[in-house]
Amino acid sequence: MHKKEQLNLDDWFQGNITALACLHFRQDVEEEWIAEETISCYNCRYRRWVQSGIQCMKTPME
Amino acid sequence: MKFYLCIDDTDNLDSIGTGAITEQILKKLIDHGFGPCSLVTRHQLYIHEDIPYTSHNSSMCFYGEAPDESLSIIIDLASRHLETVSAVGSDPGLCILQYHASDNYSDLIAFGKAAKHTVLTKEDAIKCAQSFGIHLSEHGGTGQGIIGALAGVGLRIFGNDGEIKGALKHIDLNKKYSVAELMTFPEVEQVLNFQTKERLTPDSVIHMNNRSKTVMYHHHFVLFVAKKDDGSYESLPKAEIRKLGENFYA
Repeated sequence: MHKKEQLNLDDWFQGNITALACLHFRQDVEEEWIAEETISCYNCRYRRWVQSGIQCMKTPME
Repeated sequence: MKFYLCIDDTDNLDSIGTGAITEQILKKLIDHGFGPCSLVTRHQLYIHEDIPYTSHNSSMCFYGEAPDESLSIIIDLASRHLETVSAVGSDPGLCILQYHASDNYSDLIAFGKAAKHTVLTKEDAIKCAQSFGIHLSEHGGTGQGIIGALAGVGLRIFGNDGEIKGALKHIDLNKKYSVAELMTFPEVEQVLNFQTKERLTPDSVIHMNNRSKTVMYHHHFVLFVAKKDDGSYESLPKAEIRKLGENFYA
């Protein structure tokens, strides 16, 4: 996937503001939450973990 | 008899998670009259582009008690449930081990540890399972989930890996709890200072100011907390817990 669709391992601020504006955001199950902010790409069921961070499976993150 | 059960690769992006399916199987076993069963643990496995996981590559495991000679019933019940609820496009795998305290599981534990930093194959899993007489079965798709399922059992027996599913989700964030209060939750057996690994006394106070989780450490459900410069204690964020790495638990 294109780099723009990824966030690094701990870009909590960007994960929060991106998810707040995202129409596709859907909370994952509680055991998979990792960000402190409830609404965050890191807590979204459409993110996929890769070695360098997370990848959006729905839409570009930036 | 004591048994361990673990499943992996049962979901897709829109389905219920592997953790929920594990708890459904656990409930079915209890409803059948088996048990008691332990809490479910989540075991993080290797994140690598050559591994076809859905979103985070983790497996879910628990252990329980059942009458002798009931292994085939457990296998049948879990298999049928997996085949009913697993998601389209998933590659479910099921592992069930009848545990014998006198057996040496070091190779199984080594398999579990290897699955955290190596790309393993189904053949690797089958070979390892056969040497222990472990039930390992595929339930759709490529059946790739048998690798994580076997690894999860190895890691649970190891006793130094995994987060407790659902742990601490009912605590109030930004509230202070004594260790004694925290230990009223079934998922908290010990509270340890993560810098020294010393056990805190029941009257110690923890500021639970972030989402934290208990983890398996020396076969106990442990909440690791940090000591601040002023001598008070606070919880560790989940992201920090996941960064601790294997060496921390050794």
